Amino acid sequence: MAKKLGLKQKYQMMTRGLGWDTTYQSMDKVYPFDKFEGIKVHDWDAWEDPFRLTMDSYWKLQAEKERKLYAVIDSFAQNNGHLGISDPRYLNAVKLFIQGVSPLEYMAHRHFAHVARNIRGIGPAVAAQMQSLDELRHAQTQIHTISHYNKFFDGIHEWRHMHDRVWYLSVPKSFFDDAVTAGPFEFLTAISFSFEYLLTNLLFVPFMSGAAYNGDLATVTFGFSAQSDESRHMTLGLEVIKFLLEQDEANVPIIQRWLDKWFWRGYRLLTLVAMMMDYLLPKKIMSWQEAWEMYYEEAGGALFQDLARYGIKEPMSAAVARKEKNRLSSEAWAIFYQYTHAAAFHTWDIDEEHKAWLAEKYPETFDKLYRPRLDFWEKEAAAGRRFYNNALPQLCTVCQIPMGFTEPDDPTTICFRESEYKGEHYHFCSDGCKGIFDNEPEKYVQSWLPVHQIFQGNCGGASVEDVLKWYRMNLGADNLDFSGSPEDKFWSEWHRTASRAEAAE
Amino acid sequence: MPQLTIEPLGETIEVEEGQTILDAALRAGIWLPHACCHGRCGTCKVDVVEGEIEHGDASSFALMDFERDEGKALACTATLVGDITIEAEIDEDEDARRIAVRDYSGMVTSIADATGDIRVIRLALDGAPLDFQAGQYINLEVPGVTPARAFSLANAPGEAEVELHVRKVPGGKATGWLHDSLTVGDKLAFAGPFGRFYVRKSAAKPMIFLAGGSGLSSPKSMIVDLLGEGSDLPITLIHGVRTARDVYFSDFFRALEAAHPNFRYVPALSQPAEGEAWAGETGFVHEVAERLFEGKFAGHSAYLCGPPPMIEASIRTLMKGRLFEKDIFTEKFLTNSDGEEALARSPLFKRI
Repeated sequence: MAKKLGLKQKYQMMTRGLGWDTTYQSMDKVYPFDKFEGIKVHDWDAWEDPFRLTMDSYWKLQAEKERKLYAVIDSFAQNNGHLGISDPRYLNAVKLFIQGVSPLEYMAHRHFAHVARNIRGIGPAVAAQMQSLDELRHAQTQIHTISHYNKFFDGIHEWRHMHDRVWYLSVPKSFFDDAVTAGPFEFLTAISFSFEYLLTNLLFVPFMSGAAYNGDLATVTFGFSAQSDESRHMTLGLEVIKFLLEQDEANVPIIQRWLDKWFWRGYRLLTLVAMMMDYLLPKKIMSWQEAWEMYYEEAGGALFQDLARYGIKEPMSAAVARKEKNRLSSEAWAIFYQYTHAAAFHTWDIDEEHKAWLAEKYPETFDKLYRPRLDFWEKEAAAGRRFYNNALPQLCTVCQIPMGFTEPDDPTTICFRESEYKGEHYHFCSDGCKGIFDNEPEKYVQSWLPVHQIFQGNCGGASVEDVLKWYRMNLGADNLDFSGSPEDKFWSEWHRTASRAEAAE
Repeated sequence: MPQLTIEPLGETIEVEEGQTILDAALRAGIWLPHACCHGRCGTCKVDVVEGEIEHGDASSFALMDFERDEGKALACTATLVGDITIEAEIDEDEDARRIAVRDYSGMVTSIADATGDIRVIRLALDGAPLDFQAGQYINLEVPGVTPARAFSLANAPGEAEVELHVRKVPGGKATGWLHDSLTVGDKLAFAGPFGRFYVRKSAAKPMIFLAGGSGLSSPKSMIVDLLGEGSDLPITLIHGVRTARDVYFSDFFRALEAAHPNFRYVPALSQPAEGEAWAGETGFVHEVAERLFEGKFAGHSAYLCGPPPMIEASIRTLMKGRLFEKDIFTEKFLTNSDGEEALARSPLFKRI
């Protein structure tokens, strides 16, 4: 009797049989994208399937996850779950998520489908195709979950339109556009490895724990549902990097350059998460610094120690991230506080309890550098002069964040870097972003920089109001300080009614 | 302590109270698939074939209710309620033989000093001979010392006597007793065989054995076994020691070299003592390997046996020379003070 096949052989039989070498057209014509990056693959069969999930069990598992999630979403809606959250200010984290992250899930869906079509190895193609389906599911469940809040709160109604236009949303958008306009292997290194493996815990854990701590059961549930797919995404990232590093020595320096680039791109994107953790969440989970130490310095440190065996070094800019960890969130908050009149979420003055928490978490920086500024703004607001900055900021050409970051070794001096290319000057927030530009200037001179576009007259008009209307913002509701906003009024009104009802019982 | 049996390997390990399946397996040197390590991602899903477990903090999405009903568990959060058997997604290895672990006893027939701190102890077994794969080890019971201590078998399978090489660990109770108190005619008891360090004969590739100090025992068994079977693949043994006085079994390997043209024996000194006459190689094992193979290792299988720093340095050298995990096999010699660092690793590598 023939020996029973092991799981591995069985899966190989099922997937490898799906691939074939073309005969009417050359393979290079059918797969035009998987060689131009310089990556050399000699043996696609050396690919080790990072997971062995069949379509049959995939549907079964995902259907069960959907049933569970939608049961929670339904009961959340029926029980007016939105009234059970800790504080309406919490929802600004959710607004940032639907405006900035969910569109990326959809882009990931599209591009993994593209990669699945354009890589000639059948193993990775099957893995990419399955991830493409996951990402579509993530986008869809996030939209469905958050749509409940759209009935009661502002800033959630036009997230898709805003994602392609609004200044701060160009940060996540340009990050992903950079990845999808790269070749298939750079995309996999950028998204599957650098993001999904190295940094994803810093996006998902803070958002989902933040939701849990602040009474948002619906968001927690879609988070868990999405995280249960992450196993495949993370193991795909690891396998991609191992496979490429082992296939040819010439791949090593290419991968190193991509890791340097995408570590920094991903880290700059996480600036929004840092601000969310330290400033937007009414009930805090842990500080950004603590999260960075736990999820990057410890876990990432172990990973880079292992990668060193391949001759891969930790990205140089990791040292800068380490220096910035006790100031990143405060610098980001300062930017958004000043420009809240042009954002589709709210900011506010920080109360004493919150300041005390920041001082405890950031003993070296908060009281000395950031408390005086918050105190000053608070005083100005109390005197009826809430500070809004009406000058348009200069943006970093690569990460597209306003130039508000400081010198790695001096948190009181703004960091400016500059490069000249074909007679034009380009500006950067850091050595990391400048290095990325200098490597591929032709790519980044095409950046769609929101401030430049406004000045060039491509964004609805010359006044702030024209631009915000072009963003489809509801002025006076989506933007400005939380204090006095329709949400603020709605919430206090509801709480008055609720306590009257309780008193009447 | 409850016992955990891991299929398809057939390995059984002891698990401490409250210890998760994943933690116990990794600490015992058995790699299970894993990623998030806190019950959220589901990478470490296993089948519980027999016995009871507690699921712990497994997310209801990473481990759905119907999966729990089917007997699945997440290794990173599940703990044991009594003895269990799991089946994990580990690749089966066609070169692995399943040999039942049994208790043996035997009488010491000879004790010889190989070097200043390594002793060669031979035992004649009381009952049936010990069946094992060359490279495996036994757990030897040393009076007054628990738990039993691991020693690699230096004899080839089929030889009448069991041969152990024991290095005296400074301050070590077990090795101290074996060096100072054991005499010819004493009885010793052990259980075995254990371990997944054996030659992947099906690969049929030229082999490199890198041994450090008393890490020579497994390679000796493996090489004698291979040559005895008539293997004509090129086999190189590099044995690293400190000084010329620490070299042992060189006459034995020289004789093998003379009888088998496909075998090459290279002893190497890392710290030759002043005035020592030495015409052979100097440097650490990995440096000597790099020189001998001109930094190119692709197409070989490598077997590494010795202390952790030697293993790590050798892995880096081999990988730099384009030999990767699937062709590198290791047996780390850990003493009681080593071991914790095993968990500060990423999931990038499974075995090495």
